Amino acid sequence: MFGQGLLKGLEITWGRLFGKKHTVNYPYKRIEMFPRFHGRFQLDVDKCIACGLCVNACPNKVIEMEREKVGKKQFLTKYVMRIEYCLFCGLCVESCNRDALRFTNVIDMNQYRRKWVRLTLVDRPAPEAEETPEEAPAKAAKAEAAAGKAPDKEG
Amino acid sequence: MKTQTYYLNLGPQHPSTHGVFRIILELDGEVVVKATPVPGYLHRGIEKLAEARTYTQVIPYTDRMDYLAAMLMNWGYVEAVEKLMGIEVPERAEYIRVIVGELSRIASHMIATGAYGADIGALTAFTYTFRDREYVIDLLEMVSGSRMTFSYFRIGGVAADFPEEFYPAVKKLLDQIPAMCDEYDGLITGNEIFQARTKFVGIIPPEVAVDYSLSGPVLRGSGVNYDLRKVRPYSVYDRFDFEVPLGKNGDCWDRFRIRIEEMRQSKRIIEQALEQMPEGPVLGKVPKVIKPPVGDAYAEIESSKGVYGCYVVSDGSPKPYRVHFRRPSFINLGYLGKLLEGWKIADVIAILGSIDIVLGEVDC
Repeated sequence: MFGQGLLKGLEITWGRLFGKKHTVNYPYKRIEMFPRFHGRFQLDVDKCIACGLCVNACPNKVIEMEREKVGKKQFLTKYVMRIEYCLFCGLCVESCNRDALRFTNVIDMNQYRRKWVRLTLVDRPAPEAEETPEEAPAKAAKAEAAAGKAPDKEG
Repeated sequence: MKTQTYYLNLGPQHPSTHGVFRIILELDGEVVVKATPVPGYLHRGIEKLAEARTYTQVIPYTDRMDYLAAMLMNWGYVEAVEKLMGIEVPERAEYIRVIVGELSRIASHMIATGAYGADIGALTAFTYTFRDREYVIDLLEMVSGSRMTFSYFRIGGVAADFPEEFYPAVKKLLDQIPAMCDEYDGLITGNEIFQARTKFVGIIPPEVAVDYSLSGPVLRGSGVNYDLRKVRPYSVYDRFDFEVPLGKNGDCWDRFRIRIEEMRQSKRIIEQALEQMPEGPVLGKVPKVIKPPVGDAYAEIESSKGVYGCYVVSDGSPKPYRVHFRRPSFINLGYLGKLLEGWKIADVIAILGSIDIVLGEVDC
């Protein structure tokens, strides 16, 4: 019979009209994101050793990092993510050995102006060095030697 | 009476072109005399961008080709690099790849089905398939953290193992898939108006399909039994029992119908993969800095649109010397100009929709 298919279609749509709802009233009710969700970034400053692995892992040069040497440690002074270029691929989070950089569940990163989009995770001055001046050069030389060795090992 | 042909510009901004795609139609009244497809509006130069990235950093860019089945786009690329370096992928990672790949295929076919319904005039069907696709995407989000551009594959395996909550969720979805497909069949496939618009429209003869190197549902709609998962099984596809749905006439209706059948088959594959999945690591032994030896490799997989291939050339540095992608949508479009000749304007939309193109992939 011609029109049987049309009636079948109507039956399905009418059935759905009284069926379960699949949407939520969004701004008032929100679906919880999964734990692995790639939302806004979070940097645990105490864990970060300013090694710069995340900067190198990024395909789009999103991360801008500034560091200063304080005593024998690298001190992170600035960590800015140019989120407007971010692909949210997660390669930076994966590259972090110290588990310092992480994704959160925050989804609303929209801004009214383009210049507000940039995500500044750290912006602080470096503290005064406490070390005596005699010790510093020897330690710097050691650090340089270690840095020089590292690439052959990886290659 | 003296008549003359005239030109009609379809697109680039037209909802039925599924993106930014232009067709210049030369018409005699309502009948197409000549059709000239003009792609390239979404060209971003991904192949060139890849030359300035390390091998791992290319993965997020492959997502942006066929963004409706991004997992499959990852797959072709990482397989080519693995072939180049001779990396052994752990078995569990292969199974995970099959599962997320088939889920991606289901999501992509859902869009193809719904969008084709919308092209023909059944806009209701579009909302139904998109609703169901959200549930598939939820699963992939659970696994990879993103809803569209997953970047989940890594050279030598995948980024992470499935979370615990994935297994019950995927089981629940797989149980619903036959009912979902039945719903699409009831809404669109069985509809007489839809059949009148698509049956015996835009017929591609099998020998022409082979000559033009068409692949995927477009080729199988013409009755050519060619599915890479069967004819040249890659990964672990030789361990699954599934059928390759084939069309009879090579018309729009066959191409459309096959996609719904493929969803049912994908469901079967995922069920078997979940059952057979072994324990073990998900990432093989991969050096920290990926530096393939000098040489080249070509790997291909069956994506949702057809045969997706990736060619990688290495000069021994950590960055690829050249990357080329064989995008099925682009090659399937090669026959469009000839195919449209002789059909009416309304059929142009029906034929273009049945090829199921994604412009991100066509223009790369």
